[in-house]
Amino acid sequence: MSGMSPERVRQLFAQEAEVRLAELGRLLLRLEQDADDETLVGSVFRELHTLKGSAAVAGLDEVSRTAHDLEEVVEEVRAGRRPVTAELVDTLLRGADQLGAAISGSEAEGPAAAQPSAVDQAPGPADTRPDPPPTATGAANFIMVPAERLEELARLVGETTSAQLRVGRMLNDRFRVDPATVAEFNELSRSLNDLRDHAMRAQMVPVSTVTDQLRRAVRDISRAQGKDVRWEAAGMDTEMDRGVLRRLSDSVLHLVRNAIDHGIESPEERERVGKPSQAALRLHAMQLGSEVIIAVSDDGRGINTELVEREANRLGIDTEGLSHQERLGLSFQAGVSTAQFVTDLSGRGVGLDVVRASVEAAHGRVEVHSEPGVGTEFRIIVPITVAVLRCLLVEAAGRPFALPFHRVLLSQAQEPSGADRADTADAARAEGRPVVWVDGSPVPVQALGETLGLAGGETFEGPVVVLASASRRHAFGVDRLIGQRDVIIKALSPVLPRLPLVAGAGVEPDGSILVVLDPPGLIQQAARTGRTGRTSMPTASAEAVGAARRSVLVVDDALVIRELQRGILERAGFDVRVATDGQHALRMLGQERSDLVVTDIEMPRMDGFALTEAIRAHPSLANTPVLIVSSRASDADQQRGMDVGADGYIIKSAFDEASLVTAVNRLLGVKA
Amino acid sequence: MTDVHALLLPVGTDLHALPVDWAREVVAGPTLTPLATAPQVVIGLFNLRGQIVPLFDTAALLGLGRVETVAFAVVVNSAHGLAALATTGVPQRRMLDTPAGPSDLPGTTGLYQVGRQAAALLDPAALLSPERVRDPAARLDLASNGDG
Repeated sequence: MSGMSPERVRQLFAQEAEVRLAELGRLLLRLEQDADDETLVGSVFRELHTLKGSAAVAGLDEVSRTAHDLEEVVEEVRAGRRPVTAELVDTLLRGADQLGAAISGSEAEGPAAAQPSAVDQAPGPADTRPDPPPTATGAANFIMVPAERLEELARLVGETTSAQLRVGRMLNDRFRVDPATVAEFNELSRSLNDLRDHAMRAQMVPVSTVTDQLRRAVRDISRAQGKDVRWEAAGMDTEMDRGVLRRLSDSVLHLVRNAIDHGIESPEERERVGKPSQAALRLHAMQLGSEVIIAVSDDGRGINTELVEREANRLGIDTEGLSHQERLGLSFQAGVSTAQFVTDLSGRGVGLDVVRASVEAAHGRVEVHSEPGVGTEFRIIVPITVAVLRCLLVEAAGRPFALPFHRVLLSQAQEPSGADRADTADAARAEGRPVVWVDGSPVPVQALGETLGLAGGETFEGPVVVLASASRRHAFGVDRLIGQRDVIIKALSPVLPRLPLVAGAGVEPDGSILVVLDPPGLIQQAARTGRTGRTSMPTASAEAVGAARRSVLVVDDALVIRELQRGILERAGFDVRVATDGQHALRMLGQERSDLVVTDIEMPRMDGFALTEAIRAHPSLANTPVLIVSSRASDADQQRGMDVGADGYIIKSAFDEASLVTAVNRLLGVKA
Repeated sequence: MTDVHALLLPVGTDLHALPVDWAREVVAGPTLTPLATAPQVVIGLFNLRGQIVPLFDTAALLGLGRVETVAFAVVVNSAHGLAALATTGVPQRRMLDTPAGPSDLPGTTGLYQVGRQAAALLDPAALLSPERVRDPAARLDLASNGDG
């Protein structure tokens, strides 16, 4: 098994603690200079809080206690009960020194308390972690390389690619030679593309690299609290950029701690309310298109929104008129805690705001879904950065921009003049704003320059580009389409605040910078600025109304996938039911037919292939179209899907909202 | 008192001093790409041998108006990654000795005499923190309220 040794855990903690203690020292010195700065006080508190939690996970109870004591002192300051004085800073600095000394000592020796017994190390029956890949080649074939070298390698490859493109342009401009006709140039291009792919691949790591730490935390915390928790992990081979994963690992640890500390009930309480005494805590990772989703879910008591509301009110936040989902969202506010009691792990209002901040720093977002008595699921959704994205390049207000192609539904030219122009007085309008008609539905349109707030961007002269997010479609007028191109997207500097309309930037062959826009952010912004009040959901057309009567059964054992597909299809106007495996699906189809079945392959009890065969063999279900959506990407699997009678096959890594809706519409003969 | 080895940054009629250890390099007349929706303190982005570096308006970060023309970008190794400060003239190295007095500007640590001028010594950690970049005005108000 791939369990990390206690020594390795302590080593990692020591590395983390070194950085955190250095930062803590800097913060304390700044605090002495600027005693009234509440942000600084909050930062000091969070550093101590994180140190405390991480030390507990590493089995360093003494370090954790010391950090807790220091945290208590800072809590007094935060609550306004104690002023920041030189003596207080002395105390905190001395405490930080003690922490540093204790950590150094423990790294060398390791406390007896941290030594797990053989029983602890043995995997339990509920251990669902995948085994590590076979290592027939042996560890001797692996070398450790400092991450900075890999990053530098990727940067140099990018530079070399830019230089090669410049050479191509020079061949064309100076010598009138089309580089595409030069065999050597083409060979160099191919080699560089391969090199670029490998350089980027070298920086991708599986999610499993951080799950050992989580598993240990689950074990230790649940034991300490007398709770019986079954840890389940799926999709741990999902790969993502090392830097992004490293940034997120703290956040996932926070969520796991929170779930056990105040999401999951005691065995007695669970039995009282009719639940199994053993709780389930799941970590599920998957790649969907250009994003990775990491979901942490539990079957505990759910978030008490009334408590969250009270906490928010205490902080002066007006909660009147907020929906259930908006109240849940308040739990990400600094100072709002979802815990009823302060414990040594959580419940001080620290955690979820930190989670949100770190996820947003990775240009991602975090969502929470919770139902009282049923459980809570947090979803961290981040782009796979340092990735190459196919982009549509457009010009707006005289500037070029890139739009990730997987969000582009279509681009269409407008009539040169007359009623179809969206920016003219006699343009098509619906609900008080200009629209364009897309496949029979009106879609609101706004000049891209206006959405971006660019001077002179309020009008546009060229085509419209229709973009889609998870829940909306919106058209944007641009001056012209420049073309399509693969763009190596780089995250913007962390010094910059998060810009919701910007996904990143890429370096062009001529060395200039191309800003890559974020379609969901654009759509949200356009909906806000286009008109107040109503959202920009397109009005249902006659075809869409027709589609609303069609029913789809989604079959997948993964909750996140099920809910994502349900959401996408419901927004597209379908009635959706869900089943958790093939047997469940057959039972539901026996009770009530569906017009189409969307199914995963790998599921317990009955897989997607067997389900498809069963549907084809059933007299009254045989004509039901079946669409397979699976992470299995091999030709053999796709062929097998067709052989057993599936009508379509979508690979999950290439799956997005548009491709699913398009495939479903096609199979049902619905005009999208 | 220890001397401070600094890079003097001319910004309009003002002079600021950056501890030289923070400076990575100076780029003359960088080609800038405006960054839509960014705060006003962000002048744009430029390509530094494949790395995308944000260029900040030094005057705006300090609450002293705006830089009109960017002549040089001083690339700084900040805790959050590379960032650059705009200047309107050639940056020059100088040893600064005794402070001439405290500085009123947030993000600075004191005033030093340079010829007939006084240069404010920048604290890059504070000046280029994400909080300051996000909302420099709010921080300035806070500082002035505190003074008052």
